[in-house]
Amino acid sequence: MKKIAITGGKGGTGKSTFAVLFANKLIKKDKKIFLVDCDIECPNLHLLIGKRIGKAQKKVYTQKPVIDKNKCQKCGLCVKNCRNNAIFMPSGKYPIILEHLCSSCGACWLTCPHEAIKTKKEEIGKIHLNKISPKLTLITGVAKPALEDTSAVVKQLKDFTLDLARKNKIDYIIYDTAAGTHCPVVVALLDNDLTYVVTEPTPLGAHDLDLILQLIKKIKIKSKIVLNQADLGKTDSTLKILKKHKIAKIDIKIPYSKKIVKHYSTGSMLNCSI
Amino acid sequence: MKICISSTGPNISDQVDPRFGRCQYFLIFDTETKKTEAISNQGVRQGSGAGVSAGQLVADKNVEAIITGNIGPNAFTVLGQVKVKIYAGVFDLSCEEALKKFQANDLTETSGATGPGQHEHEPE
Repeated sequence: MKKIAITGGKGGTGKSTFAVLFANKLIKKDKKIFLVDCDIECPNLHLLIGKRIGKAQKKVYTQKPVIDKNKCQKCGLCVKNCRNNAIFMPSGKYPIILEHLCSSCGACWLTCPHEAIKTKKEEIGKIHLNKISPKLTLITGVAKPALEDTSAVVKQLKDFTLDLARKNKIDYIIYDTAAGTHCPVVVALLDNDLTYVVTEPTPLGAHDLDLILQLIKKIKIKSKIVLNQADLGKTDSTLKILKKHKIAKIDIKIPYSKKIVKHYSTGSMLNCSI
Repeated sequence: MKICISSTGPNISDQVDPRFGRCQYFLIFDTETKKTEAISNQGVRQGSGAGVSAGQLVADKNVEAIITGNIGPNAFTVLGQVKVKIYAGVFDLSCEEALKKFQANDLTETSGATGPGQHEHEPE
């Protein structure tokens, strides 16, 4: 089983388009695919293929800290250890948890010397599943709106997918990440065999390509470059960024094509091959 | 009484910083000793909850009044838990001038957050 991630830094460069095109190619080779929408804050892969996200298979939970006033000694260590500044302690009073800032990292309850921080379960998202064909299953993560840190949803989405993929003898898992270089993207990129970085020949595309390549270098993962709409715009800025990162070539070039745009806009990307 | 002013620099002659949680320095002026303590704000570079961390400083230092430009929702929430008066809406003044206005009862107490939270955006 191969685990492939599709990312790109910039929004709208063609990550999801490439993810479906890549899946189509593998399906033609008779491979069994899990296509996973890791853009949990606004999943839309299902729209490209004209399908629904399917039924919720699993609720995603996280833990939030709760102060046990019988045990708390008001030492303030939890305030110091919280990197998100989600705990506030008025002088001489018990600490207050600001749940909307809490990322459930666990630092407070793991380090409390008085074991005065308990945890409570909180729903933060759902995992949906839609079996499109015998060869293709779409798995979509959906985070609860206004959640501060959505990376836990991605982590559990990946765990769920991996478990199911092993049981169903899946050949390829394709993780389509969100735009950006923030935590949910980092989590989506970890522990895969290969990452395709999708970019476009525009100054903005090059700028965000630089950011995602910096992240890829930091987390030490294997990557290949995909240039979408390769025959439009100017590649100068893109090539400059690739040179900066000592990347010698663009692995895949997708030319601008009315056919892709048509399939994209009519939700029939599964029928699109290039 | 201790007064905390969000400041753009470490000196009382520096401008009031319009941001509270993400100001450059906190100047804590003690009306009894007439001394000023300048604290460099670590919250400037924090990802989230800078207002909470600023509020914690205010609570730890037993500050009774805050003079600033805008105060965000997180700071306002936590400061509601401590006995502190907030005087927001102070712009284009030096900390010294703002302090004089405060002592002349020329500043108005604020009743709610005056702006959205200000997340860090690193310059190129």
